[in-house]
Formats: sequence, structure tokens, C-alpha cells
Amino acid sequence: MHPGQQAISDLVDGALASDRHAEVERHLGSCVACRTLADELRAIHRAARALPAVEPPPDGWSRLEAAIEGPADGAEIHAPWWRLNRTQRAWLGIAAAVLFAAGVIVRLGPLAPVPAPPSAADAGAGSIETLESELRQAEEHYTKAISGLEQIASEGEGTLDPETAANLQKSLAVVDQAIDESRAAVRAEPGSEVAQTSLLDNFATKIALLQDTVALINEMRKGNDAEAAQIVSGLK
Amino acid sequence: MSYRQREPAAVPSKTSDGDRRSLDAFEQLYREHAGRIYALASRMAGSPDEGEDLLQDIFLQAYRKMDSFKGESSIGTWLYRLALNRCLDFVRSRQAKIGKRTDTLDDEHSIEPAARLDDTIARLDLERALARLPAGCREVFVLHDVEGFDHKEVGEMLGIAEGTSKSQVFKARMKLRAMLGSGRPG
Repeated sequence: MHPGQQAISDLVDGALASDRHAEVERHLGSCVACRTLADELRAIHRAARALPAVEPPPDGWSRLEAAIEGPADGAEIHAPWWRLNRTQRAWLGIAAAVLFAAGVIVRLGPLAPVPAPPSAADAGAGSIETLESELRQAEEHYTKAISGLEQIASEGEGTLDPETAANLQKSLAVVDQAIDESRAAVRAEPGSEVAQTSLLDNFATKIALLQDTVALINEMRKGNDAEAAQIVSGLK
Repeated sequence: MSYRQREPAAVPSKTSDGDRRSLDAFEQLYREHAGRIYALASRMAGSPDEGEDLLQDIFLQAYRKMDSFKGESSIGTWLYRLALNRCLDFVRSRQAKIGKRTDTLDDEHSIEPAARLDDTIARLDLERALARLPAGCREVFVLHDVEGFDHKEVGEMLGIAEGTSKSQVFKARMKLRAMLGSGRPG
């Protein structure tokens, strides 16, 4: 009887217990098909371990040097384009989440108030505020928007089949972990653009996932199986 | 797992912004390690373009955090760890949205190569096939088979069970076997 392809892969890694290892090895001695598979998996493993470094892009250093010599962290924002763009992206993300939640409220009924996005004037006030303070503000609004969406999602969770609900919960747990780690990185280095961007990206990811969840619940409630299946396939 | 490479002549220290000597030393660090870091980033991301963005992020972060390098490990190990964390952060953000890490392998046994896979695999063929692996099993394969971490370490890094790491590596190998086998003479 063949040992199973996963067992052969584990054999290649030396990850089988000694008695099982000996058993699979014995089988390989008498089965050409399984021995061929083991040889090919070993060849892939060897080739992967031997992959060399890759020549970085030719302008890599000059782009990095320009970024290093750009505005220092913590400096007041006098409209450097890359920072304003990032901040605007953050506000856009929040606004989209709030608008989405508002649309859902109309369809599914009243919920706890969802925070309003800051006005353009508020966002423009970045010219006199530090980036750190803008980040705190963005985090506050993201948190409120997420809380509104979470409430909608938890109220409709019973509509989902258990497997989909479990997969969504797993995905949310992963993104929550990413948010916690980004928060820790921002706390450790408040001026780090990378840490700030990562935190905002993770918030945006969570909002997108919650939006998909709520859209799925909505389609299930309406009995639109085809639309629901499409959303589920997008989540995979 | 260690990252062994020749140390640069000097570890850059930021004494003041724009300090030319510090930047020169950092450029040397970049030139010595960028290829290794870029390979890791583009393989983990599955795209040279995203790898390029990650490369820039990683070295920018390294420059800004250089003061926190205490010399407890080699500069190469410190830089590799920083790069790995940034790549993992990138992967987690992307995976959270698409939730692919919970894939099962039920349908994988039908994958068979079109032809016998040669013992020697061309590097470029493998790189191309690697980029075509689905997100999820690709990162696990890169960490395990390319970077040399064991399943326990991969599990801890990605927040998955050790068994999931094994099954994802298996899935990746079977897909690579199918991709690399096709088109070759039998």
C-alpha cells in the first residue's frame, strides 16, 4: 500500500518518526512511482535551497538615497506630496467604510452611531499638526468605523454557514494580530513611516474584510445565493 | 537559521542627518545585502515589483533604526531579521484579506506532472514557477525550502500550526512539480 504523497514530502524533510520513516523507505525500495516522486521532491528542495541572490534594481540605491535624504520624521508637514497622499488615503479609507456602513444601516436597520469622517478642512489641518497626531486621529476614526462594522457583522453572523463564518473569524484574527504588531512597532518608533503605513494598511485591510462580511450577510439575507457565492469566492 | 555573509568594512552609525560618511557606509551595506534581501522580498511577495517596494521599505527602516543595532548579532543577521519581519508583515496583511492559509489539500492529489522531472532544475524555471504559486503556500515554501527554516519556525512566524506548514510545503512542491514537469521531454 502506498504511503501517501504527504508522507513522502515529510520524508524528504526528515519530518517522519523513525518507525514511519523506515516503513516509507522500505516502500520506496519496491515502488518505482513513489521513489520517482520522492526523487523529484528532493530535486525541487535542493534547487530551492540553491537559489541565489537576485540582482536588485539598478536604480535601487539612488531611490533609497533620495528617500533617506527626504524630510526628517516628526517634522511639521509643509505639503510633502508623499505624506499628504498617504494621509489622504487613510481618510478616504475611513470615509469609504463609514459610507458603506451607513448604506448597510439603511438596509438592515438602526445600529449604534457610526463616526462621521473628518471634514476636508480637518484633513487639511495637517499643515499645522504633526504626522503622529494625524495618525492618532486616523486610528481613532478607523477604530470607530471598525467597531460599527463589527457590530453589524456580529448581529448577522448566524446567517452564514459555519465553515464560512469560521474562515472569516480566522482571517480577522490574523489581521488583528497584524494590527497589534503594527501598533507595537509604532509605539517603539513613533516617527517610522513604514510602521505608520503598515498600521494604516492593516486597518484598511480589516475594514475591507468586514465590508465583505457584511455584504455577504446582506446577500444571504436577501436569498441571493449567486451573489453570495461570488463574495465567498473573492474571500478565498 | 543564521544569515552568513561577509561583514561590511564598517557598520554605519548615524551621527547626524545627511552625514556623508554614514551614508557611504550604509550604501556599502546596501550593496552587500540588497541582492539577498531583494530575493527574499520578491519571492515572498511573488512579484519583482512588490519585492522592489519591500526592498526600499526594508532599507529605509534599517537606516532609521540603525541606532538600535547593538552589535549583539552580525549586521547581516540583524538586517535579515528586519527584512523577514517586514516581509511577514506584508504577507499577513495580504493573507488576512484573502484568507488562503486555511486551504485544504483535498484536491491536490490529482496534480501530476506532464513529464518526468529532471534531477537538475533550471534556476529561472524554478523562479518563474515560484512566482506562479498561490499566495499562502508560496510564502511557506519560500521560508522552508528556500530560506531553510524548519516547520516549527515557519509556523511561529506565520501564526499557523506546524502541520499546516508541512501541508502547505507539500502543496507547493506538488504544484511546482506539475509546473516544472510540463513542457519537458518525457
